[in-house]
Amino acid sequence: MNKNNTLHLNKINMKPWLFLTPVFIMFSLFVFWPLLYTFYLSFFDWNMVSPTKTFVGIDNYISVLTNPTTYKIFLNTLFFIGILLLINLVVPYIFAFVLHLILNRLKGFYKTAIFLPAFISLVVGSILFTWILNPISGPIAEIAGWFGIQLPIWSQTEGLVIVVISLITSWKVFGYNFIMLYASISGISEEIIEAARLDGVPLHRIFLDIILPVSSSAGVYILIMTIVQGLQFVYTPISVITQGGPNYASSNLIYQSYNEGFILYRTGHSAALSIMTLLVFAILLLIEFKFVERGVHYEN
Amino acid sequence: MKASMKLVSLLLLILLLAACGNSEASSDDTQNGEKTVVDYWHVNAETQGGQTVEELVKEFNESQDEIIVEPRYNSGMYQGLMQNLQAEAAAGNAPALVQIGWSYREYFSNNFHFIEPQEIIKNISEDEGYLEEKFLPNVLALAENNDGSQVGLPYSLSTPILYLNMDILNEAGVSPEDLTSWEAVKEAAKTISESTDNYGLYIAEAADNWNVQQLIESNDAAIINDGKAAFANEQGFEAYQLYADMITEDKSALHIGSDEGTQAFVTGDVGIAHLTIAQRKNISDNAAFEVSGVPSPAFDGEQLKVPAGGSLLAITTDDEEKQQAAWEFTKFLYEADSIAAWTEGTGYLPPTVDAVDNNDELKALMDEDTMMLSAYHQLENLVPWAPFPGGSGLQAEQLLIDMRDKILAGAPIEETMKATQEEINNLLQ
Repeated sequence: MNKNNTLHLNKINMKPWLFLTPVFIMFSLFVFWPLLYTFYLSFFDWNMVSPTKTFVGIDNYISVLTNPTTYKIFLNTLFFIGILLLINLVVPYIFAFVLHLILNRLKGFYKTAIFLPAFISLVVGSILFTWILNPISGPIAEIAGWFGIQLPIWSQTEGLVIVVISLITSWKVFGYNFIMLYASISGISEEIIEAARLDGVPLHRIFLDIILPVSSSAGVYILIMTIVQGLQFVYTPISVITQGGPNYASSNLIYQSYNEGFILYRTGHSAALSIMTLLVFAILLLIEFKFVERGVHYEN
Repeated sequence: MKASMKLVSLLLLILLLAACGNSEASSDDTQNGEKTVVDYWHVNAETQGGQTVEELVKEFNESQDEIIVEPRYNSGMYQGLMQNLQAEAAAGNAPALVQIGWSYREYFSNNFHFIEPQEIIKNISEDEGYLEEKFLPNVLALAENNDGSQVGLPYSLSTPILYLNMDILNEAGVSPEDLTSWEAVKEAAKTISESTDNYGLYIAEAADNWNVQQLIESNDAAIINDGKAAFANEQGFEAYQLYADMITEDKSALHIGSDEGTQAFVTGDVGIAHLTIAQRKNISDNAAFEVSGVPSPAFDGEQLKVPAGGSLLAITTDDEEKQQAAWEFTKFLYEADSIAAWTEGTGYLPPTVDAVDNNDELKALMDEDTMMLSAYHQLENLVPWAPFPGGSGLQAEQLLIDMRDKILAGAPIEETMKATQEEINNLLQ
């Protein structure tokens, strides 16, 4: 009896682990191992092919931290995050709200139209937008020209270049974020909103006091995804249009790691910068858990 | 329960098989029956001469029965090829013949195995004098690295020329014959921007220092001298001053990224463009105006120097039989008809001296096309793309790009150039 029992227990304990094995192997190969190896490489001077790696201790970290470009790129990264949050979280949230509660017609059309660009490759999108937004000869410049307006040369203007690249990225990200938020908002029970409407609660109060708190779990998911994935998505237009220029004005931590590692072959620098980027994001996530997660409403 | 165990083991099995499949695919077969296999790595996508590569390889494979050439396309241009080469060389599967971009010459020759063409020719009496017959001395020297080894042979060659929008030039009353010096181009650009509502000039601002090198070195300054950065002197300041003045003071030149700038020229918003000859097909196919070309100018009274773009062909295998086979294929690629097909398919210049005289189509192209002719005439003025020594060459190039961005945005020229020169020389030590 007793013996049987332990055997049973073992079986139960083994099964989940067995199921986890394939994923665990995948993760180890493609996430944990590269991460450890990056950490290891950050202490060496290496050009990716030379048979010898020279151990340099924390020199790579010192060199990254003493380089003024690093701080410029760090500020750029924050600027990117701010803009991406605005156009890929705040705006789609409001869009989803308006579409669900205020519009009565053409809902299906808007949903499809807004989601459609998410299917198209961002490389194609970037090339397309380089042409559309060309400040000298693109169609928008042409139309502006009729009214005597001259477009600024955005790809060479500090600040503006980040805004435009974020806009190009949002072309791809916006639709997905919008659909997620829309799904969450449509899940909110109609009675609550109906009751509020009968009581004459203004729309912006409905949004802030009912919609936002109840759909906050989806909101937080989109918040994190916008920060983490948005920065990876902006890589594509940067690489296609500006290559981080002019003078690093459009670079961010992720593009810079790539640039150091795979264009200049400064593997150690790239690894050190990557590890520091990882730390920055870990801190951002911690802040998120501490201040945002508390107020989130999960249905189950 | 049992079913779930089966599922797990199935997944594990799939994973295992996937891993095995991988190692199988990468194993190298040197012999294909009796024939020697030559792996030829190129960067030519379908629209950029990829078809020509396939045709040339097919013709060669059918012309004899001892060698089989297997072409492999590498995406991401020379940088992409270099990344693939790193991976394959680390696994011991280096190809036999590769295209190496000029800016990777030092990096490649310092880090990878290659064999000098002279080494191979040594044992073949009929090929004695082959290199001297085929190439101009300065063209052959492009593929010689800083240590004096012949890394390979020049294959794809491009130079920057001035493309002219004749509609705009006629409207502004600027004659192409006047554009003989950079000072004259500056004047012409000013005339164009003042008398029409177009920009006068665009100099390509790609992610490299190629166009700026033409400007600086044609004012008797050197990007690099004796293995050290040497551009921060009076001649260098003067060259950059002229460039920056056109943008910040005259506002006659356009300051924008290279794709956008090329588009602006093609759409007809810019009078003169300093771009690579490799853009010729794109421009003449898409421009709705009469387009013409003149050679890149030098500064008044100075010697014209144009940097070479494109690639060299290097033989990377250490198997002697393959080296011979790769050499046979290389010689085929340099025959006049193959070079004519290559020029036709890619827009690069013929790297050999005998191609134009021995192929009627090529001759006709040179007679008709002012752009092609301008670039071809510059071959004797070719200089290598600033080959910084050691492992820091790519980083030095990046610093030159940063310097350009700073100066064109209005930074003080002398100060910025001195600081960059010092930074590069610190790197090179």
